[in-house]
Amino acid sequence: MLAGSIELASLRLVAAKARAAADLATIVAIGDQDDAAFQATGAYRPSPDAEAVARAYFARNLDALAAALDRSPDDIAAGADVAVFREAGMVDPRSGRRYDHPAVRVAATVPVRTPAFAAFVLPRVTSVDVLAASVAR
Amino acid sequence: MVALETVLTVTILVPLLFAVIAFGDAFQRWLAQDAAAIQAARLAGEVGGDAPEVRALLADTLRLSGIDPDRVSVEIEPARVGWREPVRLMVTSGVVLDIPFVLHTVMPLRSTAVARGEVNR
Repeated sequence: MLAGSIELASLRLVAAKARAAADLATIVAIGDQDDAAFQATGAYRPSPDAEAVARAYFARNLDALAAALDRSPDDIAAGADVAVFREAGMVDPRSGRRYDHPAVRVAATVPVRTPAFAAFVLPRVTSVDVLAASVAR
Repeated sequence: MVALETVLTVTILVPLLFAVIAFGDAFQRWLAQDAAAIQAARLAGEVGGDAPEVRALLADTLRLSGIDPDRVSVEIEPARVGWREPVRLMVTSGVVLDIPFVLHTVMPLRSTAVARGEVNR
């Protein structure tokens, strides 16, 4: 019972860390702007490589959790649903949320190893859904 | 018989109770340390690497979470980061797990955050 309780707490901890990783990835990705668009229009637009940057930093920030994950951070980041909303007022088809400014959103499923759950006939791997979005201001 | 039952109950329930409290405290500290590391990493990217204000922010945030910054080791790599380059901040501390009859150890808490350099030198 104690092992199960600690495993559950660990799972919640890893889930929080994974969410923080996605959050930081979207912050980094939206923090860089498209210089050409800014010079041409004066408007803030996410960098053309915002999606790749979000994936790369999601993987980098998941690295610290690699031992607890059932897939590599690079695989998880590669399979993540990353969306870049370049214009203000765009609606995220996944969440239905409308962004008042350009935004980057990461949605991913993170498989976490939960070996102690097997003693309770629960899955050895638990999937944690992660959703993070950052908006430029 | 009652005495035996009491001894058995105490030796099982007391460690369980202490374990719940000890691990709860450890996990709460870990999350607080993670949040502090993320904030500090973002600032490190903003100011271009390892700067006194980054360590001051980290120390303040840790202190507010009840973590003594003097007992925490901090690494920022690279110390000087260029534009659009990754900067990694690692924070390591230890929390004492003291569970009667079962365990007495120091559990290392490691937090890592990677941000991006924003200073165009």
